[in-house]
Amino acid sequence: MSYIEFHRIEKRYGSFHAVSDFALSLDKGELVALLGPSGCGKTTTLRMLAGFVPVSGGRITLGGKDITELPAHRRNIGMVFQGYALFPHMTVAKNVAFGLEMRRLNREEIELRVKEALSRVRLEAFADRLPKQLSGGQQQRVALARAMAINPDVLLLDEPLSALDARLRHEVRAEIRQLQRELGLTTLIVTHDQDEALSMADRLVVMNKGRIEQVGSPAQLYEEPSNRFVAEFMGKTNFLEGRREGPADFRTTHGSLLKSSGDGPAAASCLSFRPERARMVPVDASDEPNLNTLEARVQLFTYLGSVVECRLESSTGQPLLVTRANTSGVQRAGLTEGARVKVRWSPEDSRLLA
Amino acid sequence: MKLPRLGTWAYYGIVGATLAFVVAPLLAVIWVSVFVNKIIGFPPTGYTLKWYANAWALVDFREGFLLSLQLALLATAIGLAIGVPAALALARARFRGKAFISTLLLSPMMVPGVVAGSGVYLYFIQIELLSGVQLAATLPGLIAAHVVIVIPWVVRLVTTALLSVSENVEEAAQNLGATPLQTFWRVTLPIARPGLVAGALFSFIVSFTDLEKSLFLVGPGRTTLPIAIINYLEWNLDPTIAAVATVQIFIIGLALVISDRYVKLSRAF
Amino acid sequence: MTQAAHASLLRPRGGTTGTLLAPATIVAVVLLVAPLFLLLRYSLNRFDPGSLMIEALTLENYVKFFTDPFYRDVLGRTIHIGVVSTAVCVVLGFLPAYFIARTQSVKMKSLLIIAVILPLLMGNAVRVAGWMVLMGDSGVINAAVMKLGLRSEPYRLLYTDLAVLIGTISVQLPFMIITLQSVIESIHPSLEEAALGMGANHWQVFSRVLLPLSMPGVVVGTVLCFIMGMNAYATPVLIGGPTFHMMAPKVYEQITKANNWPFGAAMAIVLMVTTLVLTMLSSWLMARMSGHGSVEAKA
Repeated sequence: MSYIEFHRIEKRYGSFHAVSDFALSLDKGELVALLGPSGCGKTTTLRMLAGFVPVSGGRITLGGKDITELPAHRRNIGMVFQGYALFPHMTVAKNVAFGLEMRRLNREEIELRVKEALSRVRLEAFADRLPKQLSGGQQQRVALARAMAINPDVLLLDEPLSALDARLRHEVRAEIRQLQRELGLTTLIVTHDQDEALSMADRLVVMNKGRIEQVGSPAQLYEEPSNRFVAEFMGKTNFLEGRREGPADFRTTHGSLLKSSGDGPAAASCLSFRPERARMVPVDASDEPNLNTLEARVQLFTYLGSVVECRLESSTGQPLLVTRANTSGVQRAGLTEGARVKVRWSPEDSRLLA
Repeated sequence: MKLPRLGTWAYYGIVGATLAFVVAPLLAVIWVSVFVNKIIGFPPTGYTLKWYANAWALVDFREGFLLSLQLALLATAIGLAIGVPAALALARARFRGKAFISTLLLSPMMVPGVVAGSGVYLYFIQIELLSGVQLAATLPGLIAAHVVIVIPWVVRLVTTALLSVSENVEEAAQNLGATPLQTFWRVTLPIARPGLVAGALFSFIVSFTDLEKSLFLVGPGRTTLPIAIINYLEWNLDPTIAAVATVQIFIIGLALVISDRYVKLSRAF
Repeated sequence: MTQAAHASLLRPRGGTTGTLLAPATIVAVVLLVAPLFLLLRYSLNRFDPGSLMIEALTLENYVKFFTDPFYRDVLGRTIHIGVVSTAVCVVLGFLPAYFIARTQSVKMKSLLIIAVILPLLMGNAVRVAGWMVLMGDSGVINAAVMKLGLRSEPYRLLYTDLAVLIGTISVQLPFMIITLQSVIESIHPSLEEAALGMGANHWQVFSRVLLPLSMPGVVVGTVLCFIMGMNAYATPVLIGGPTFHMMAPKVYEQITKANNWPFGAAMAIVLMVTTLVLTMLSSWLMARMSGHGSVEAKA
C-alpha cells in the first residue's frame, strides 16, 4: 500500500532541470535509498519532500494527503541533516525535546519521550551535555533521537554516515536499520555510497542528472542493471564493446564471439559481467565451449584481505577485472604478474546493455 | 617560530617594548590620578583618592559624564533598533545592490570625524534656518549624530553573528515544527546573541569616547566627557583630570571585559 | 501565502527586505550623505565677514587654500604626519601581532588582546592626557631622566613634531596590531614550518610567506591607520602646541571660531579627498608590490 507518492516531480532553476519526471511510491515501513553521484538531484528530491525546496511541477502525497504546498513546519516529517544541525546553544535533552515543545506536549510527557528517545540511541548519560562536547557519532545519534522523538510519519536521512569513520559507519548503519524496522518507520535515505545503500535499503533508486535510472531491490540493481550507468555505478563491472549478433550472441569489436543470457535491448552495444563471476584458469586449461573465454595477461594484484583483485589486459587490449574470495590463503598458483591466463565466465552472468 | 637565542631576546624585547608603549599613556594617567600633590612631580609624595571626589564636584565633569552616559545608552538603543533589522536583511536576503547598501551603512567608519561633524553641524544650522527647529548643541542633535557613528558597528557585528547561524540549523527547527517566527526567536537569535551583545557594547564605547564629531555639536552646559577633558587639558594638567580620565578608562575597560565573554574581540576588526 | 509571509523573517524577500533596511539606510543618507553634499555645496559659496555666507558657485575657497603657502604647509604637514606614523605602525606592528596570534594559551591571548584593544578604544582625550603626563616638562620621562642624573634640565618633549608623531602612533598602533593579529591567525603555522623545513631563514619566512599572505590585512590596517593619522584632532591641538597646525583643528577653527563656513567646508572636503586619494593609491601600490592583482579592503 503506497504511503508516500511522488507524482512526476520536477524542480527547475531557471532553465536548469535539477529534477525531472520523478515518480516513486514508498510503502509504509519501507526503507528506500536515493543513490547517485553528486549533483544527480537526490538531495533536492529529499528536500522537496521535507518542504525546504518548493516544487516546480508535480505533486507529493503522504498517506493520501497532498502535502505539496504544506509549509515545512507543518509536515510531520523527521529529518536527520548532513552535519546533524544540532542546536549548539541547547543541551542534548533540549535538542531532543524541541520538536515535542513545538507540539505543545506537557512537561511530563516531554520528559518521558526524551528519555525514551535517548535510551533508544543509548545516550541517556549525555542528556545534559552540549553538542560540541560530543563526538561525531554521538552527535549523529542525538540527531536521530531528535528526529524520531516526534513520532514522525516519515524519516528522512541526508547522507547520514558520510562524516563518520569506517568502523563507526558499519555500526551506525546496522543501528539505523534496526531502529527503523522496530518502529516500522517509512524512511528515505540519500547517499552517494552504494555500500550504504545496498546494506540498508529495501529498495534502491539510482538517479543521474535529475532523472531516475532504475528502481529495484539491491539484488535487482546489482544483478540486473538496466543500463550502463547503473551497472557502472553499482559496484565494479567489466564492459566489452561490440554488438549483438543474434538472440544470444555478441561479437566484440575485437572480433571475439561471446554468449549472453539473451536479455537486454536489441541494439545492445556492450556486454557486461561482474568481476566476481569470472575466474582465471591456466592458459593451457581445457576448452569449455559453454563458457565465455578470453585470453589475458595479469597486470596487477591488489590484496584486499578478504578479496584479491586482479587487473588484466586481454590479448585484444581490453582491460579486465577479476576478483576472487581469499578462501585459501595467499595461493597465487599461476597468478603472478605478467602471467598469461584465460578468463572464464558464464553466459548467464553476461548482461547486454545499450 | 623558533628563533636563535640572540634573535629571541630581540623578538621579546621589541614585542614587550611595543606593548609597553601602547599601554603607557593609560598607566600614566591611572597612576597620576592618585597623586597627593596637585602639581605633578616625580616621585609622588603620597597617594590619595580625593581627586575623584573633586572631579565629581566639578559641574563640567559631572554633567559631562552623565551626558556621555545618556548619549551612549540612547544611541546604542536606537542603533540596535535600526541596525539589527538591517543586519538581518544583509545577512539573509538576496538582492541587487547589496554591496552598495552594505558600503553605505559601513561608510561612517570611513568618514573622518571632523568632516562628518562639520557637515552635520552646518546641516543642522541649515535646518534651523529653514524650519526654526534647533538641532545643533541639543541632545537630540547629538543623539542623531551618534546614531550614525554607531550603525556601522552594529551592522558589522550583528551581520557576522547572523551569518554564523547555519541554514541547516534553522531548517532543522522548522522541520521539528517551529514556525519561521519561532525559529528566529528560539534558534537564530540565541545563537547570534554574542554578536548582538558585542554590537551593543562596541556601540556604547564608540559613542562614549567620540571626540571629533561631537566637537561641533556640543554647547554651553551641554558637553560630553571627552570634550570636557580636552577643554580642561588646554589649561591644566593635574590629578583631577587624570582621575576623570581614569574613570573613563574603567568604564570602557568594563565594557570590553564583558564583550570578551561574548565575542572574540579581535574579530570585530 | 502565510508560509511566505512568515518565512520572510528568515529569508527576507522583496518588500520585507526594504522594510528591514529602510530605517538604517534613511539615517545614513539623511545624516551622513546629505551633510557631506551640503559641505560640498557650501565650499563653493563666498565668505563675507559681514553677512557670513553668500550663495555663489565659486572655486575661490579652494584657490585660496592651495595658493596660500600657510595652508599648503598645513596640508603638507598633515600628510607628512599621516604617512610617517602609518609607516612606523606597519613596521612596529607586525612583531607584536605575530606574537599575539601565535600565543597558545587562551587566557594569555585574551589578556593581550584586551591590553591592546583597551588603549584603542580609550578615546583620544584620555590618550592625549596620558601622553601629556608622560612627556610634559615635569612628566614621567623627564623626571626619570633627571633623577638618573642624565640631564639637569627637562627635555622639551611636548610641542614637537616627534611628540605629535608619538601621540598619533599610539592611536594607530593598537589598531594595526589587532588587524594584523587577526590576519596572521588565519595563516596556518604549518606554512611557516614548511618554509623553515625547506631551508628558509626567518627573514625569508617573513618576506616570502607571512607578508604576502597577510597583505590583505596589512592593506586594511594601513588604510584605516592612515585615515586616523590624517584626521587627528586632539593630538595636534594639545601635544603639538599653538604653532603646530594640522588640517582637522583648522577645519574646526574656521567653522566654529572664524565662522568662515565656505572656507572651512572647502578644507574639510580637501581633507577628505586627500585622504581618499592617498588611501586608494597606497592600497594599489601595496597590492602591486606584493604581487597581487588587486586587493579588496574589507570595510
